[in-house]
Amino acid sequence: MLRTVIGDLARLRLSSSSSSNSCVLVTQVREKGHLSRPRLRNPHWFLRKERSQTDDYVTAENRNFVKEVVHETYGSPALIKGVQTYEQKLIRTPIEKPSVDAEPWTPKVRRCGVIARKIGQYPLWLKNGERVRTTLLQIVDNHVIKYTPPEEYQPSHRPSVHNLHKYGCLLVGAESTNPALLTKEYCGIFRDSGVMPKKNVARFIVSPQAALAPGTPLNVGHFRVGEFVDVRGKTVDHGFQGVVKRHGFKGMPASHGVTKTHRRAGNIGGGGEKGRVWPGTKMPGHMGNRWRISKGLRIWRINTKYNVMWVQGSAVPGSTNGLIYIYDTILPLRKPKEAPPFPTLYEDDAAALPEDIWYDQVHDFKDETITYKPE
Amino acid sequence: MNVNGFCRIVSKKLPQQFAYKRIVTFSTKPAQQQQEATVSTPTLPNNNTPAARKPIVPGHYRFVYPEFLPDPKVQWRNTVREKLERLDMLARRGQVDLPEFYVGSILAVTSSDPHAAGKTSRFVGICIHRERCGLRARFILRNVIDHQGMEVLYELYDPTIQKVEVLRLEKRLDDSLFYLRDALPEFSTFDENMEAEHLEEGAPVPVNDIKVVLRPRPWLERWERQNLLGVANIEQYIKDKHRKSAAKVQKPWEKYDLMKQYRATIPEEEQKEIFAEVHTELHTLELQRKRNKRKRSFIKPKQLA
Amino acid sequence: MNQADVSKLISQLRIVVRPKNRNLKNPDGPEGRLLKLRKTVTALVKHERIELYYNRADEARGYAELLISNAIRHGDRHKPTMELADYWLLEKQLVHKLFKVLVPRYDNYNVSYTRMYKAPRDYPGMYYKKSVLELRGNPYPTLCADQTQNRNLLHNVLLDEARKEFRREKVADLANKLNVATEAPKKTVEESSDTIKPTAI
Repeated sequence: MLRTVIGDLARLRLSSSSSSNSCVLVTQVREKGHLSRPRLRNPHWFLRKERSQTDDYVTAENRNFVKEVVHETYGSPALIKGVQTYEQKLIRTPIEKPSVDAEPWTPKVRRCGVIARKIGQYPLWLKNGERVRTTLLQIVDNHVIKYTPPEEYQPSHRPSVHNLHKYGCLLVGAESTNPALLTKEYCGIFRDSGVMPKKNVARFIVSPQAALAPGTPLNVGHFRVGEFVDVRGKTVDHGFQGVVKRHGFKGMPASHGVTKTHRRAGNIGGGGEKGRVWPGTKMPGHMGNRWRISKGLRIWRINTKYNVMWVQGSAVPGSTNGLIYIYDTILPLRKPKEAPPFPTLYEDDAAALPEDIWYDQVHDFKDETITYKPE
Repeated sequence: MNVNGFCRIVSKKLPQQFAYKRIVTFSTKPAQQQQEATVSTPTLPNNNTPAARKPIVPGHYRFVYPEFLPDPKVQWRNTVREKLERLDMLARRGQVDLPEFYVGSILAVTSSDPHAAGKTSRFVGICIHRERCGLRARFILRNVIDHQGMEVLYELYDPTIQKVEVLRLEKRLDDSLFYLRDALPEFSTFDENMEAEHLEEGAPVPVNDIKVVLRPRPWLERWERQNLLGVANIEQYIKDKHRKSAAKVQKPWEKYDLMKQYRATIPEEEQKEIFAEVHTELHTLELQRKRNKRKRSFIKPKQLA
Repeated sequence: MNQADVSKLISQLRIVVRPKNRNLKNPDGPEGRLLKLRKTVTALVKHERIELYYNRADEARGYAELLISNAIRHGDRHKPTMELADYWLLEKQLVHKLFKVLVPRYDNYNVSYTRMYKAPRDYPGMYYKKSVLELRGNPYPTLCADQTQNRNLLHNVLLDEARKEFRREKVADLANKLNVATEAPKKTVEESSDTIKPTAI
């Protein structure tokens, strides 16, 4: 704020000086001592989500009455697939399935993604005895809220002319919550969908063929075992860190005459013609709290009862119990060859799935001990 | 104190914040999950069978099955994950008999090994360490074979493990026996063809109070700092400077640090919930094991005769 | 830490526990921290209501809770518990208070034993947050009058009316349904409204 005011003043002075040719007085504002830490900058269309909570001294009767009204309109609290939520009363049922002659899946089509939580990690074993580390992602009470067709969708970054009006946008919400905790404007997002207001909302860019009707629940059946997904999350915030933690430098010896340079980087550049610090040099700085995507993680196992999938690796960005967004992979060699459930797996088809689905290569813990055949 | 004035100035929002319902934010058992437990337990097969009688979980279960208790670090906890993990553990236990054992017990582990002759390998040794929880639970066996100390790290729930036999069920004086690495080899030498020794049913697990004799320095760790009970001759090798530095790192106040202990344990109420969930299956497995043992012990004299 | 410590069995606390402790800045390290908190816990047991900085109160609260819950759990014949009480209570007559006054008082509580309020800080003055920590069931008058029973507050009046209207509508709805079902309009309306009204109020 201050800086912009000073900048304005300086510009004024400059402009006046250029006309009158008097001496120029510019206050310099140096950008030193300023951390380049990722900050939350709310976009222009930002809606405040949470209402400020005040203690209103509402009598117990009235409090129950408010609760009753909420349950009356949206359905009573229920535990659905291991997530505390509400019966969604207002969703028009049944959601019309697209007719048979709807456009089929092609490898170039972009499907919707889902919102999940990272709930932890533990190992699985393959049938050849190999141990794989997996992360468990639980898909938490996802419902489609709105679809914006390509003609109306205005992305913040205008796509190249080639891609203009190619993709629509699906708004998906996760984790129903008590609307009394949220602002009126935020609840307005959900008004036309019939879905209860959700704690978390995400947009997914989809092909128009993959559009879904508002109120469609998204489950883990949207993906299949053996396929690959990209997982986007915000990494754990470590704050300002030195090079040893941030970039894995080795540091310097603890003794043998080393003074004051035990965890420092050492030299950061050469002399002579290239006598400067090169861009991209690894140095201390802010670590974490950035959006990162791990790409091409295989789904090893799926549990439909709790909506959980086991994906490869234990380095999915974000903390345990943190939010995660799951997409179909964009890696060309790992894209599915066969059609996945398209546009998604609807409820009645999902009911037919078994509770635990294991990929062929994974050892089911209910199976017998792994043995190797003698040659 | 002017009470009225105080009423006015104390923040109004607070009393609610400390009501019992809100405890759950960082407590290990959120209200949501509590409800879930009540809702989903009836669907589990193990809770359906003994509907009439209340499952009484024996108090020693936390020692016998420590890996069923989750990591107490609250940031890493999630009830759904823990439940799924427990189900997997039970499924694995249905396939292989994983008996009760402690650090200091002598085990024989038979596992599939693609590189071994006959594709299986059997290792006999003393359990010197046991750590981690859930499906990652693991232990280290140590033995001296051909004058060469050998250690093998096994994961308890690894599906390549074919059999775990407890040859001698006992405890030692310490929680981990890494000092055997610096002890004379005879203290970690065990016969590979050792016969299993049977404990009487219901008898408490004996504590072997053997004192191990250490080699002279250099050692792998500074044993004098660890207050070891199972070492005989540590005084022989340490000097005054070692004694002083050992005294410096002692933390005698930690036994009074109640919150530190609390953060390192799973509270009793939660332990009860967890073991109530898995108790019936574990109990049936135990009964099965007993039956098998009896059969085995009955057959043996026959063969001799 | 990857495995729970099974050597000790502790009852669950009924307060919010932070995942990590505060170090409470002091030159003697963790030992000094405990020595500091010891004074606070002693004062809390002695005076039953104290005013102090928020951080220290929040840290001391857990220790006081655990001390009481251990005392309830094991009683005064248990040696380790007695040692704990001896360490945490600097004035030894308070050990008697713990076992003879507080244990009977909290024996069948199912809420936390202590309570904490945010207190206003001095302005201008130290910036640290302040708080009031008290034992439940203390003899002092309450700090915050319970306003939740006050029906004359505006929003309660409005909500009361809304509730009544909501009930009336529901009854009307039910009556309409019955009307349609039985096709005996007048009788059922009267009956149904009679039967449902008492429950509504």
